Amino acid sequence: MTTATAHGPAIGMLGIRFESIGGLGAHAAGQILASAAVLRLGLNGAHFSSYGSEKKGSAVKSYVRLTDHDTPIRSSAPIDAPDCIVVFHTALLSNPVTVAGLKAGGTLIYTAPAGERPEALKRVARTCRVIRVDAQTIANEEKSRPNAVLLGALCGALDALDARAVLAELTATFEKKHASAVPHNTRAFERGMAEGELIQGLACGEGDLPTMRPGPVWGYATAPIGGVIPLPGNTITNNLTTSRTGYMPVFGAEKCVHCGLCDIVCPDYCIVWGVVGDGPVPEVTRMRGIDYNYCKGCQRCVETCPTGALTREEERPGMAARLRVPIFDRIGGGLNTK
Amino acid sequence: MSTTIQTTTNGTMTRAGGGTVRQKTDLKSGNEAAAAAARDVGFHVMGYFPITPSTEVAENLSQMAADGEHEICMIPGDGEHGAAGICYGASLGGGRVLNATSSQGLLFALEQLPVQSGTRSPMVLEVSTRTVSGPLDIRCDHSDIYYALNAGWIVLMARDPQAVYDMNFAAVKIGEHPDVRLPVIVAYDGFVTSHQKRRLEVFDDLEPVKAWLGPCESPYTALDPSRPVTFGPYMNDPDLINNKVQLHLAQEAARRVIPQVFAELGGMTGRHYPVMDEYRMEDAEAAVVLMNSAAETAKEVVDRYRALGKKVGVVSPNVLRPFPHEEFRRALKNVRAVLVGDRGDSPGAEGGNLSLEVRAALQVDPENRTLVITRIYGLGGKDFDDTDAECFFDLALEAAKSRKVAKRFDFHGAFAGDPGQKPPIGLPVLETAELQRGMVHVKVNERTGLLDVELEPFWAMVAKPNRIAPGHGACPGCGIFPILHQMFHALEGDVVVLFQTGCAMVVTTGYPKTAHRATYIHNLFQNGAATLSGLVEMYHELIKRKELKDAKELTFVMVSGDGGMDIGMGPALGTAHRNHHMMILEYDNQGYMNTGAQQSYATPRGHRTSTSEVGSRGGGKRFHHKDSAQIFAATHIPYVFTAAEGYPEDFMRKVAKAQWYAKREGLTYGKVLSSCPLNWKMGDDDSIEVLQEAIDSCFFPLYEVEHGHTTITYDPDALGRRRPARDWLKNMGKTRHMLRPENAADLESLEAEIDRRWRRLKAMHEHPEL
Ligand SMILES: Cc1ncc(C[n+]2csc(CCOP(=O)(O)OP(=O)(O)O)c2C)c(N)n1
Ligand code: SF4
Ligand code: SF4
Ligand code: SF4
Ligand SMILES: [Mg+2]
Repeated sequence: MTTATAHGPAIGMLGIRFESIGGLGAHAAGQILASAAVLRLGLNGAHFSSYGSEKKGSAVKSYVRLTDHDTPIRSSAPIDAPDCIVVFHTALLSNPVTVAGLKAGGTLIYTAPAGERPEALKRVARTCRVIRVDAQTIANEEKSRPNAVLLGALCGALDALDARAVLAELTATFEKKHASAVPHNTRAFERGMAEGELIQGLACGEGDLPTMRPGPVWGYATAPIGGVIPLPGNTITNNLTTSRTGYMPVFGAEKCVHCGLCDIVCPDYCIVWGVVGDGPVPEVTRMRGIDYNYCKGCQRCVETCPTGALTREEERPGMAARLRVPIFDRIGGGLNTK
Repeated sequence: MSTTIQTTTNGTMTRAGGGTVRQKTDLKSGNEAAAAAARDVGFHVMGYFPITPSTEVAENLSQMAADGEHEICMIPGDGEHGAAGICYGASLGGGRVLNATSSQGLLFALEQLPVQSGTRSPMVLEVSTRTVSGPLDIRCDHSDIYYALNAGWIVLMARDPQAVYDMNFAAVKIGEHPDVRLPVIVAYDGFVTSHQKRRLEVFDDLEPVKAWLGPCESPYTALDPSRPVTFGPYMNDPDLINNKVQLHLAQEAARRVIPQVFAELGGMTGRHYPVMDEYRMEDAEAAVVLMNSAAETAKEVVDRYRALGKKVGVVSPNVLRPFPHEEFRRALKNVRAVLVGDRGDSPGAEGGNLSLEVRAALQVDPENRTLVITRIYGLGGKDFDDTDAECFFDLALEAAKSRKVAKRFDFHGAFAGDPGQKPPIGLPVLETAELQRGMVHVKVNERTGLLDVELEPFWAMVAKPNRIAPGHGACPGCGIFPILHQMFHALEGDVVVLFQTGCAMVVTTGYPKTAHRATYIHNLFQNGAATLSGLVEMYHELIKRKELKDAKELTFVMVSGDGGMDIGMGPALGTAHRNHHMMILEYDNQGYMNTGAQQSYATPRGHRTSTSEVGSRGGGKRFHHKDSAQIFAATHIPYVFTAAEGYPEDFMRKVAKAQWYAKREGLTYGKVLSSCPLNWKMGDDDSIEVLQEAIDSCFFPLYEVEHGHTTITYDPDALGRRRPARDWLKNMGKTRHMLRPENAADLESLEAEIDRRWRRLKAMHEHPEL
């Protein structure tokens, strides 16, 4: 147990942003961090997360502001220019918003297997510290969650954060309701601290990254009145790849009997069908594969397939792009919708 | 301010300083602070209905109740109107009453607010402010609270979680003061304050606080038969105006009482709230008026501008009703120009309520020469940061210097648009022929007079394009979408759908994108059925008058969650009794999932939800699940059915019948059990198994009521597949606790209820007239 000092260390104003997907525990991590800072380290702190749709699988940002004990925190706005960014899911790095605003002297922590050096991190200032930790694997091995690992990695990276206090807060959070999770979380946290790898030579940008706040596409002079959307089905331009957390269904055509059961249960309408045969021969509708742009990896199709034509596979980088069967082909400027 | 801090055994710090009462440091959001205050006040009754972002107040209190931390009787209303009624009734009993709401919920309750104040019944209402629909937006502005300004309530503004905590004690004391006796709103910014955790101090010794609050005393109570009184008489002229004078006098009395209460409370806490918060206003030439969190952000900029020698300050009221005219006049007396930021517009009035009232207040002072600028800002949750505040100060400084206001009224932060920029185009319009593929064949059975349906095989159905496009934002494995898919497979031809508020609506229409390929309407879930019935009749009227160009045959379908069938039951029953030609499909996922899984009336007894939490003191939902299929059967509409995703043929047959009846005879109602992996707390791919267990336990029987005749379409008893309810309950995280011995009473009660309803249904199935 750490003893709180009346007035914690002088840390100035520290802004930390967690970039995550609903369900990975970024919100809880932020809360634990801020609680540890305020209740155990004698700092002043604030914590909040971005809210929109709170569905599992949608993007979540969680923010922690920390400052000296006697400095008031007045702003409630999101932290556009953080000192530290922790990325909970590698796929998020492909969106420049994820690292936007990172200060030139800042710290970036991302989760990925050893050896993975995402291109997207090149933009980060060379003066930043870039740290990799395989939070997903460690979490799986320790039967914990990525947030425990990443909190450990964060404490390992930032001197202002007393790891013992943060770990104590993590423990206190779980003790009451999931006491059995505590040793797992502790190991995950400690491994996060120990296994963070400082990545040299990847970041080669200059200066602070520009801040970004996505603005609207339509404005008051261009949007149809009343908020109507006269563009049926334009969610097809969404890419939901980040909703998958580690696994994807893979289609093996040999075993498929084209029964259509997978199509009946798939919540994301991404099972692709095609019509085979022409002329006087009766048309046969065949299952052709999956459009991974929309697949959220729920495995309901796998669970339902009577023949084992669909299997659950660990998703490796590039796999979805290779196996994807687009559901909408652009033909002659229009879209062929089955 | 000097404070001493000691570390307690659990590592939290206790701060003693400033106030006379012992306090401790904590980290809480505004909603948590409100819940903590409610616990510490010890209200008697809370009537509530969940709405983002205020729901967490009830959720936190639910958890605390389960852990034995308070005794507040928590009553989930059927909607905010019902919740307000619950609160009104409870307050007439003379105890302390609490409610919490936001946005549309406040508006739905609004009708009851003047009743509460007009009959002088104090209570406390937390309003976590949120913009008002439509279009629906869950985030912060003050447009909701502006609607409440004419309701006769005291309105306290809480700028941060600490103020939320403190203001709640003040609210009780002010409202119950014999000269006031008015209900009180505590308003704080949705999300910005409601969900942001901040350091704060809470009482660590409640005795002096309770002594200060004293017992709840009211001059009249509805619970004392030895002193009978009539509440709410029929009062026309010449009396009503006098009643309103009394109300006015009560507000005037509050002007005197509020500073007293704030001072007493400040003595205990060390935190002093003036009626008007004035920041560095001593010699300010230019000022900004803002309410709640935005005012705090602006203070940062004041410090920076003052360091540059700019004479600026911030004025923000801690009390909005009674409106602090005098305080505004005083604060702005020597200010050359003030910019009033309104987080809500009164369209057509060139100002939101705050700036209109500030203007009115200044106008009373003949010497006042302050220029007033209005800016509408931060609507629908648009962030307000220091650059926005700088902009406001610059405008005010410019006006102060030039003694002219370039633009009196404007929106801050709006975007005109770029004609070259458009949201992505979606999919081509579906042709009727594509939708009319003959996937279902419906025939009247000559012998029975009922319908027979034949279906094409599933693989053939995939040829029919879905009316919802992929790319929607539901959780992985969500059960709603297979249900919609199966329904749309069976529906032939063109449809118009109306979705009531809920997950299906929110995840398919995130602006500026829509997953819907057919015409889609959203109306709030208290009124969708009425809305669609109006459209149905307009359709028939235009056809009758031959005014509908290229008239096509349309099927009208309303899709609602089970929660929509709580709050919207009244209009839905009205629609049933009028028997409009349309379909209603309820996807029953047993909770208000869109707002974070609170109990609905469809939630079975004992189930854990975020407002029926389970803890050391037990918990789980207290009453049995609503049977909306039977309720609609009792309206004698032509067709009612239940279905589940795991029986797609059965479901699609029923949808085909429903469409047939909706076109020819009138309203049809379908209730479909719909899985929610996230909130049922199970694997994303567990749906089919868990639904099967729900069906085989007879919890959710599959049946139809056609022209009043009940037919069970899947009988687990007859098939030898009946299983005990515990086989179903053990597979969901939200119900596993029910198998523990201490919850045996809930489990037995649920099992008995399931069995009773099943036997009743079987009797109806067997009886030729039922
Ligand atoms: C008048 C009003 N009260 C409350 C809400 C908040 N609200 C939106 S959706 C919802 C729950 C809907 O539950 P249900 O109909 O079961 O659909 P689900 O979310 O489960 O899909 C609630 C409480 C609101 N939008 N309007
Ligand atoms: S469920 Fe299996 S066998 Fe049937 S169509 Fe899908 S992949 Fe093929
Ligand atoms: S895992 Fe299967 S069922 Fe789930 S979204 Fe992907 S394709 Fe659809
Ligand atoms: S919360 Fe439940 S019902 Fe709502 S989208 Fe997620 S899984 Fe579906
Ligand atoms: Mg529901």
